[in-house]
Amino acid sequence: MKFRLNAMETIGALMVLSLAVVAILAPWLAPYDPTRAVASTFGDPAAPSRMYPLGTDQLGRDVLSRIIFGARISLTVGVAAMAVTMTIGVTIGLTAGFFGGTIDFALMRFTDVMLTLPALLLAMAFVAVLQPSILSILLVIGLVSWTQIARVVRAEALSMTQRDFVVAARALGAPSARLIVRHVMPNVMPIIVVMAVLGTSGTLLLDAGLSFLTLGVPPPTPSWGRMIEEATTYFRVAPWLAIFPGLAIFYAVLGFNLLGYGFLRRRARAGVGL
Amino acid sequence: MNTHPRRHTQSSQGRAISAYAAAIRCCGVALAFIAALVALPGCRSGAPPLRFPPGAMVLKLAASTDVPTLDPAAGYDVDSWMFEQMIFDTLIRYSDAGVDLVPDLATTWESSADSTVFTFHLRHDARFTNGRIVTSADFKYALERVLDPATRSKGMEYYREIAGAEDFVAHRTKSVAGIETPDAWTIAFHLIAPDPIFLQKLAMPFAAAVPREVVEKWGEDFSRHVVGSGPFMLKQWIGGQRIVVVKNSGYFIKGVPHLDAVVQAIGVSEDLQWFKFEAGEIDVSNIPPAVFPYVMKTPRLRDLTLRIVTVTTRYMGMNCQMPPFTDERVRRALNYAVNKSKLIAVLNGRGIVANGVMPPGLPGYDPNLPGYPYDPARARKLLEEAGLVHGFEATLWMPADQTMMILGQSIQQDLELVGVHLRLKAVAFGPFLEAVRQPLTVPLFFMGWEADFPDPANFLDVLLSRQQWGGNNDTFFSDPRVEALLAEAAPLSDLARRYAIYREAERIIVSDAPWVFLYYPITYEIQQPWVHGYVLNPMRPARLEKVWLSPHPTS
Repeated sequence: MKFRLNAMETIGALMVLSLAVVAILAPWLAPYDPTRAVASTFGDPAAPSRMYPLGTDQLGRDVLSRIIFGARISLTVGVAAMAVTMTIGVTIGLTAGFFGGTIDFALMRFTDVMLTLPALLLAMAFVAVLQPSILSILLVIGLVSWTQIARVVRAEALSMTQRDFVVAARALGAPSARLIVRHVMPNVMPIIVVMAVLGTSGTLLLDAGLSFLTLGVPPPTPSWGRMIEEATTYFRVAPWLAIFPGLAIFYAVLGFNLLGYGFLRRRARAGVGL
Repeated sequence: MNTHPRRHTQSSQGRAISAYAAAIRCCGVALAFIAALVALPGCRSGAPPLRFPPGAMVLKLAASTDVPTLDPAAGYDVDSWMFEQMIFDTLIRYSDAGVDLVPDLATTWESSADSTVFTFHLRHDARFTNGRIVTSADFKYALERVLDPATRSKGMEYYREIAGAEDFVAHRTKSVAGIETPDAWTIAFHLIAPDPIFLQKLAMPFAAAVPREVVEKWGEDFSRHVVGSGPFMLKQWIGGQRIVVVKNSGYFIKGVPHLDAVVQAIGVSEDLQWFKFEAGEIDVSNIPPAVFPYVMKTPRLRDLTLRIVTVTTRYMGMNCQMPPFTDERVRRALNYAVNKSKLIAVLNGRGIVANGVMPPGLPGYDPNLPGYPYDPARARKLLEEAGLVHGFEATLWMPADQTMMILGQSIQQDLELVGVHLRLKAVAFGPFLEAVRQPLTVPLFFMGWEADFPDPANFLDVLLSRQQWGGNNDTFFSDPRVEALLAEAAPLSDLARRYAIYREAERIIVSDAPWVFLYYPITYEIQQPWVHGYVLNPMRPARLEKVWLSPHPTS
């Protein structure tokens, strides 16, 4: 079968790719050091100009450079948090779906309990205890956003265990570990990939939300959420301070969503769905 | 008192925490709502509507938090004092716009040459709003009430120097021997040691006259049923909703107050206050940081602002027991490295660069202190001399607040240039105050101090003496020369000499540099064009008895 990207996937992939390129090449792309004062616009942010295409903030820092460097934090945290989310969610989902019975019941009720807690509030509580740093932020985001994944993976795994090829392998005496890794997991993989891509937009937003509540990566590291938070003081006189990082978040979330829904559409065409 | 970054909202806990608090508050509101549905299965209205006769002059205010108390023995915060000074009278008080003492209920007073005996003569025409004449016995009772350990007054410490106070506190006597009331209009205080600032202590609301019969009738509940002799009296206080005071028409100064009533809505967040101000629904408002730059760039609004330099100093404390801040050269280096004018710019001009401990409004302020100009080269040189060629890392603690965070980042930028890497640690205000008092815990911190009395002792003794380690001396600074000078100055009532010695002590402190002296804050408020006679005081909440309103659209 020839592999062809559909339109949504193409646009989404290009957006995510461009973001990754910006993040990797930040030191070369950014016109200035994002943490230093490059203009003396203290307390009086400057509007976009030829020298500073997106203006400067109240500490004289270049907004464009900060957004470019902010892509690093957002992508790192977003993707790494998704990895944590996936590890937890897939482990719990597979275990519950494969073994069923009491294990399934216990794990799924625990998942239900976690689902009832608002992710942002829970994340705030965790961060307050752990002290904000890149590592703690991505762990916390992972810890609060695995529930949906666990439920979906469990449902898939549950149906897999009923399939003939699994039953046959089991009849041949394959141990559980082998069954999960060699037979169930590869068949659940496509849905995991879709969930991961879609979920990344969620972790990106959660990261921005935590930063906005000043619980994100501590300064001077630039992050989009904190840029918006700091801009609230100047929103009526210098709205661009909040608008540009807002657009950056919008762009990143849209990219991951397009890619994810593109994958979903492909599955829908193939008649599998979510 | 320790000042929260925002002067008029000392109980606010900053942005990060407030979102959480808001969530909890929502739960509280929801529960209250459900409770109300259960209790009153009809329609539920809030507080009963307020009715004033047509043409009544009513000043409308709003605040985010409730007034903690109206009992003068209990209140020790800006919000409580604002209402206490409307409802009660002290013997003497500060003038409307300054920190000089003027008569309140006393017409004249004299003190002995050695500042141990203070005698006051009361006016004869002052009445409590229950109709009874105010006499010297009421002031004696009020102070004994503050001194009584059962009252648990935060003002107790200020009056223990009165002769016989210790015996009274220990329940060995039934009254304080050192407070004499020879007749109904005379009261004399005898102190065990000279105290030139005893007058200032009597100007605190703790020492306001309260009617014994009312206090004893209500006991702990007096705060809700206060009766005083001041220009206003309490009409209604619905917890969490509003507080209303109305004109005391029997007030001893004829013709004031001009206002018929003051209504303060409670539970109105700072941002909502601003919207209400713009809609003309409140008459005087704070300016939230989020709109300050907008106000200052809009001439129509800027013209309505009021500005005052408060008797406050904000500084970055360095723990003198924690390396590398044990080294004076490092502390001085940081003073040279921080660009204070930049901080003022970042604050949109809401401050004056600090050169020392004492702020400009404080008697004894030294305008000739050179301070530390911004000089990163000199800072680097001092760090090299201290053996820190490669700089060092340190953590700056601060109250969780948007403005503090921005100032922290500004200092972080400055110190980076001299090789000092700063980590910023935002903590809720309560735990923050706890932490800085522990020895060897907080290396660097933002702090502010607002005067309780207009005297250098309130800054130098309280913040920088050995005795205050673990109290308010959060830098754990101590210098024997400073200790000697403070001891020498304390009993002096010759003000010129007193201030000269305090200035000498301040010069030593500035050179020892336990603080990075940052700025003296400027507070702004905004009033509607129809408000007249509203005057800010550098040290106390504004007094409202001379305020009047011209006719306006929403009246």
